[in-house]
Amino acid sequence: MVFYEQIPTGDLCRSRTDADIAETLISALNRSLTGYVVFEPQQSILAGEDDRAVITFEQGVPMAAYHTDNDVVGSEAIDALSDSGTPHVDVHTLPAAALMSIHRDVTDTFAVAPTAPARHLTNDATLVERTRNVAPQTRVDGTDTQTAVEAFLADTDRIESIKQEARAEAAARAAEWGFTDQLGPPETTENENIDDEDRTLEDSAQQKGDNVYESESDVNARHNRTSSDDSKQNQSNSPGE
Amino acid sequence: MVEAFAVASGKGGTGKTTSTLALGMALAADYDVTVIDADTGMANLLFHAGLDDVEITLHDLLLTDCDLPASAAVYDRFGMSVVPCGTSLADFEAADPTVLRDVVADLAADTDVLLLDSPAALGSKSAVLPIVLADRIVIILQPTVPSLSDGLKVQEYARAYGTVTGGVIFNRVRQDEDVATIAEQATRYFDGRTLATVPESDAVRMARRVGKPLLAHAPETTAASAFRSAAATLDIHDGDAIGVADRFRNAVVPERL
Repeated sequence: MVFYEQIPTGDLCRSRTDADIAETLISALNRSLTGYVVFEPQQSILAGEDDRAVITFEQGVPMAAYHTDNDVVGSEAIDALSDSGTPHVDVHTLPAAALMSIHRDVTDTFAVAPTAPARHLTNDATLVERTRNVAPQTRVDGTDTQTAVEAFLADTDRIESIKQEARAEAAARAAEWGFTDQLGPPETTENENIDDEDRTLEDSAQQKGDNVYESESDVNARHNRTSSDDSKQNQSNSPGE
Repeated sequence: MVEAFAVASGKGGTGKTTSTLALGMALAADYDVTVIDADTGMANLLFHAGLDDVEITLHDLLLTDCDLPASAAVYDRFGMSVVPCGTSLADFEAADPTVLRDVVADLAADTDVLLLDSPAALGSKSAVLPIVLADRIVIILQPTVPSLSDGLKVQEYARAYGTVTGGVIFNRVRQDEDVATIAEQATRYFDGRTLATVPESDAVRMARRVGKPLLAHAPETTAASAFRSAAATLDIHDGDAIGVADRFRNAVVPERL
C-alpha cells in the first residue's frame, strides 16, 4: 500500500495495550505530536489477524489516515477504526519533512478533517473543539463548522462553479470512457426540484432510452438508423413506463 | 415492476452502505428488494449484512470461467435479496467486469427495487457506471462542505448521463448540528426531496460490528426510524423490468481502474 511505503519508520515513544483513543488523541495534541500512531484492535490481535490503522499527525493535529481493512483511507479509515474495538497503540515520532509526501502530495486521497478522529472515535466535545482551535485555519475553514457550511450554501457563484466544473468533467470523461452517447442535452443549472420531478423523470427516461442502454456496437448501428427508429426504441426501453 | 437506484455520495464515510441496507430493509416491507454491492473494488456490504463468510460472491460470478447462475451469489437476508461482493484484490483482478452487466441484468429482471451500493468515487468508468445505469440516485450527504460539494458533483455527473436525483439523505448528523437550515439551503441545489435527516448513532457502529443492518439490529432507534421515513418518502415508480434488464445487459462495458 502506497500509504505505508511513504512513511519511514519513526521513533517509538509510547506503546500501550487497551488504549483509550480519546486519551491518545489528547496526548498527541498536548505534546504537539508530529509522527504517526498505529492502532491495532485487540480483537484482531487475538484472532491472529493483522488489521491496523494509522493516523498521521502534524503539531498534534490529525492529518491523514489508513486502515488495512479493505485498504480504506481518509474518513473511511476512521470509520473502520471506529468499528474495531479497543486497540493496542504505538506512537511514533517523525520529522515533519518525513511525512511531506503523505501530507502534501497526496492530501486529497488520505486526508482526514482535523476533528474527524475526535468526532468519530470519541464522545469528547472538548477535544473536538480543542483540535479545531489548534488546527491551521486553512484546514478548518470550509470543512466542518456549521457557519462555514451555511456560508458555502449561500455562495451561489461558488456552487455554480462547482457544478459547471463537474459537468465539464463528466463530458470530458464521457469521451475518455466511451460514454459520449450517454450524454444528455446541456442541463439547466437552476434547481428543477420536486414540482418538476415527473417531467425530469420523463426526460431522463427519454435520454436513457435514446442512449444509455446500448453496447458500443449498438451505438454504431444506431448511427445508421433514422430518428423515427430511435423514437421507437425510446418507447420500448423507457423505465418510467 | 422494477426501479434501479444508485446510492451514491462521491465521498467516503458518509454511510452509503448503512443507508443502502436501511433503505432496502424498509422498502422490503412493500417490495421485493435486491441490494447489490456495486463497489467491486472496495466492497464492504458483506460485513454489514453478516455475509463475510459466504463462499460465493459477486466476484465469483465475474470470473470468465464461472458457470454459476447469478442466483448463486444471492442471499436472502433480512427480508431482502443481498448480493455481496468479495474483498480479495486477487479476485478483483481476476474478475471480468464485462460480465457485471449480465449479472445485474439477470437480477434486475426478477425484483421490484434494485439498490446499487455505489463506489465513493467518480474517477473511473466502473465507479460511475451504477450512476449511469440507475433510474435515480439517492445522494447520501453529511452537513460538511466537502460532502455537499462532492454530492453536487455526483448529481451533475448523474444529470449528464440522464439520471435524476430521487432525494438526499443527511446522514451522521451530530446532536450539535442544526441541519434544518442547511437542508433548507441545500434544496436550492439538489433535486428531489430531503428524504431524511439521520442522526449519528452508536447503534450504527454496533450494527456493523455484529454484521446486521441497522434496521435489524436497532429498529427502535431514531436513526432507524429516519431511514424508514426516507424509504416511505422515496415513492417508487413503476418500471419495465425487461427494459431495465436490457439496459444493464446492453450497457457499455465497464473497465477496471
